[in-house]
Amino acid sequence: MASSGLAETASSGMSFEELVERHQAMVFSLAYHFLHDRPLAEEVAQDVFLELHFHLGEMDSPAHIVFWLRKVTVNRSIDEARRRHRRAEVGIEAAGEPASPADAEWINLRLRRLVASLPERQRIVIVLRYQEGLEPVEIAALLEISVNTVKSQLQRALILLREKAGVEKKA
Amino acid sequence: MTMDPFEEQLKQALGREQPRAGFAGRVRARIAVGEDRTRLRGWLSIPQLRWVLGILLCVGMLAAVSYRHGKVEHARGEEARQQVYVALRLAGAKMQLAESKVRRFSD
Repeated sequence: MASSGLAETASSGMSFEELVERHQAMVFSLAYHFLHDRPLAEEVAQDVFLELHFHLGEMDSPAHIVFWLRKVTVNRSIDEARRRHRRAEVGIEAAGEPASPADAEWINLRLRRLVASLPERQRIVIVLRYQEGLEPVEIAALLEISVNTVKSQLQRALILLREKAGVEKKA
Repeated sequence: MTMDPFEEQLKQALGREQPRAGFAGRVRARIAVGEDRTRLRGWLSIPQLRWVLGILLCVGMLAAVSYRHGKVEHARGEEARQQVYVALRLAGAKMQLAESKVRRFSD
């Protein structure tokens, strides 16, 4: 257990506060893109860092900290979503009308809403792949599932997203 | 793994975002609250301290009960004294009445 919030962590050479500042965007965004709710995502992110503070002594490298943070954030977000039976049933029309067909902000918002409407497993795989840029093998290690399952979840999610967004994949 | 334009768009839409300003401070505050609670729990885990606190609590409760009992008794005593005064006043008045009648007969 960590003795102080500001104690230098042997594993990273950073103070706990620096660790929070360095990884807060990753943790918050994982929760936000999964839950599609900013206040709830902040709550989850805070809980994750509180837990990290408690387990700081068990971390043996910066990579271990990142892996641990991703894993705990994913698990906490799934728990939170199940607890609140939250699954954004949002259609494309819910994103409002675009200022112009090429309005980047509107397209991003629409895509985020579509991701939020995916089934739980597909949603988390998509977020880890496109937010964090993880390879299927890394996602598999994080979620403790097989690489083939990750690949098929990714494929299904992309098909669903393309269908909902009305995009056809070019051969 | 190469990405097609749709996946590139997805990557852009799911970019990392910062939480509200002051996030690290809010985490620190929650840790401080947790540490205070842990410290208190730590103190309460000392058996001798738990005994002392238990005894102090018992003594305090006994003192409160006895104080309340004393107050009730005092109020009862006060009420009885008032009744005696009233009785004495009535007896005095009757005595005066009797005395005045006796004087009238003797005159």
